[in-house]
Amino acid sequence: MNRSYYWLILGLSIPAFVWLVPTIWMVSLSFQPNELLARTTSSTALGLIPIPFTPENYIALFRFGQVPMWFLNSLIVSVGMTLAVLAVSTTAGYALARLDFPFKTPVIIICLMGLMVPEQAVFIPLYTMFADWGWHNSHHALILPRVAVPIGVFLMMQFFKAIPKDIEEAARIDGVGWLQIFWYVMLPLARPAMMTLAILTFLYAWNDYLWPLVSAQQREYFTITLGLASIQSNFAQAEGLGRVMASGVIASLPVVVLFLIFQRYVVRAMTAGGTKG
Amino acid sequence: MPRHQGARLALSQRQAAIILLLPFLAVYAVFLVYPFFKGVWISLHDWNLMAVAFNPDAKSYVGLRNYERVMWGQNITWAAWASPGFQIIGVLGMLASAFLYRTGRAGKVTALAMGIAALLLFVLPGFHPGEGGRWFDRRFWPTVGNTILFVGLAVPGVTITAMLLAAALDGETRAKAVLRTLFFLSQVLSVTVVTLIWQIMFSPRQGLIANLTELFGGSPIVWLTAEGFAMAAIVIATIWWSLGIAMILFLAGIQDISKDLYEAGALDNATGAKAFWYITLPNLKRTITLVVVLQIILHFQVFGQSHLMTGGGPNDTTQVLVRYIYQTAFRDSELGRASAMAVFLFVIMGGFSILQFVLGREKDE
Repeated sequence: MNRSYYWLILGLSIPAFVWLVPTIWMVSLSFQPNELLARTTSSTALGLIPIPFTPENYIALFRFGQVPMWFLNSLIVSVGMTLAVLAVSTTAGYALARLDFPFKTPVIIICLMGLMVPEQAVFIPLYTMFADWGWHNSHHALILPRVAVPIGVFLMMQFFKAIPKDIEEAARIDGVGWLQIFWYVMLPLARPAMMTLAILTFLYAWNDYLWPLVSAQQREYFTITLGLASIQSNFAQAEGLGRVMASGVIASLPVVVLFLIFQRYVVRAMTAGGTKG
Repeated sequence: MPRHQGARLALSQRQAAIILLLPFLAVYAVFLVYPFFKGVWISLHDWNLMAVAFNPDAKSYVGLRNYERVMWGQNITWAAWASPGFQIIGVLGMLASAFLYRTGRAGKVTALAMGIAALLLFVLPGFHPGEGGRWFDRRFWPTVGNTILFVGLAVPGVTITAMLLAAALDGETRAKAVLRTLFFLSQVLSVTVVTLIWQIMFSPRQGLIANLTELFGGSPIVWLTAEGFAMAAIVIATIWWSLGIAMILFLAGIQDISKDLYEAGALDNATGAKAFWYITLPNLKRTITLVVVLQIILHFQVFGQSHLMTGGGPNDTTQVLVRYIYQTAFRDSELGRASAMAVFLFVIMGGFSILQFVLGREKDE
């Protein structure tokens, strides 16, 4: 490592710090007393260091607000959506990649065309359908529309295509049925791809805003992402800036922790979602 | 591995395929294919959300009238310089695509797509109301214009920053890995967290930016409610938010460039910035196109930033297409007109998706 390398790292640390400042600021403000924040947000080091320090905002959040309920809704919706997407994507992905059946190519093309349809192009008809069925303000209403998006099917299809055929053929000679091959041979092999898809789906579910905004009108069914949007417009008056910032931190915690633990998968998932969805 | 002698090859391949495909196809048909066609169907009706909710027969078939009411007007004429800003960019874009194709800097598909986009940018803004004419909906095209402006600012911003960062952060060292993590972190946040942070960052009374300007003796800018600054503010927040994926795609692209090229370049004294300009940049052509197309698709659908940070204001300067669709449908209850706009959005997005698909297939140009 030469000197120019250290200059590069030093030179990049400054923009990296600037990049991080908004996040640090949110965390720092969430630990400062509301009464102080009403006067000034720059008490220590422009507010980037939480002095005076108080955990009061977080305690209040869990005592009075709806944040814990929204958090729970987000968990239910995100986990439910992840499991559902994994179930339909692995099965369909395997069938499209490895099994022969009539009209296979048209089926693949029809599924592929679904990738062209953005959420914003179907959210109005979905709203009317769910309204007719009385499905709004429920967890399954928040989950189902995303399960239909074929991105997961294609990720799994590409993965299964890359597995060597002889594994399957050996099992066939032993007389193992197709469903057993799928369950006992293919799924264990697909764990890394499933992990990527699971993270992609979880992040999407956790962060989705437009569909929950349309579908969940009762505050009891808000996700944390939607709930946060509903309290941020009047942060100064009702809740206090510190408490809103604490809600923001709580809302980000699962995805940030997920990112820090499974960084490689998260990066792979987001690029896969970005390049193909 | 368990053996099922009794059930030996019980299911044919076809039966197994049907069983495995059925769950997805059912969900797909009900929650994506059907809504898509229903959306088109709604767009052909005069359909009031409240009225139809109470009485399903309250809708009436109007053909293409919704499209006319949204996109057309009375006495619309076309002129070459009706909206010079966009149209000059369109002409320049057409020249640039021809130039890039002729000199071999861009492939056929890329050049063609760019040319078509530029042509549309020249032709579409040329329509304007003539003598005594007016648009039936005077907010629609300005909204589309704002969306294009947003895309036009955010996409180059993200692309250039991400490319430079990727070039600087490519490498296996620990410090670089940490820096990559820091730059990627904001990408995993939700749009409501991002807007929460930046709304307060930009706040003239409590904002960090205002605090900084005051520290240096300036007077704070009322970012989110000042015309001219509001768009800049949501673009800044967007660049901060969505840099990560672009950076990762560029890193992957850079790692695909053969190391031999850099070694050969080093012999000719091409290191650092020179190596970036003469070796990295020409070899990133495909990645750049891919990132740009992806970002266009992503940012054309912008909603949360505008909805939460500026409310489309001031004076409609940050009103974007998806927000207009949302408001037309759920505030004005005009589902028919909103669906016509959604179909318009789909056509544009579909065009870019096809382009993205073709580019993904195009191994080398």
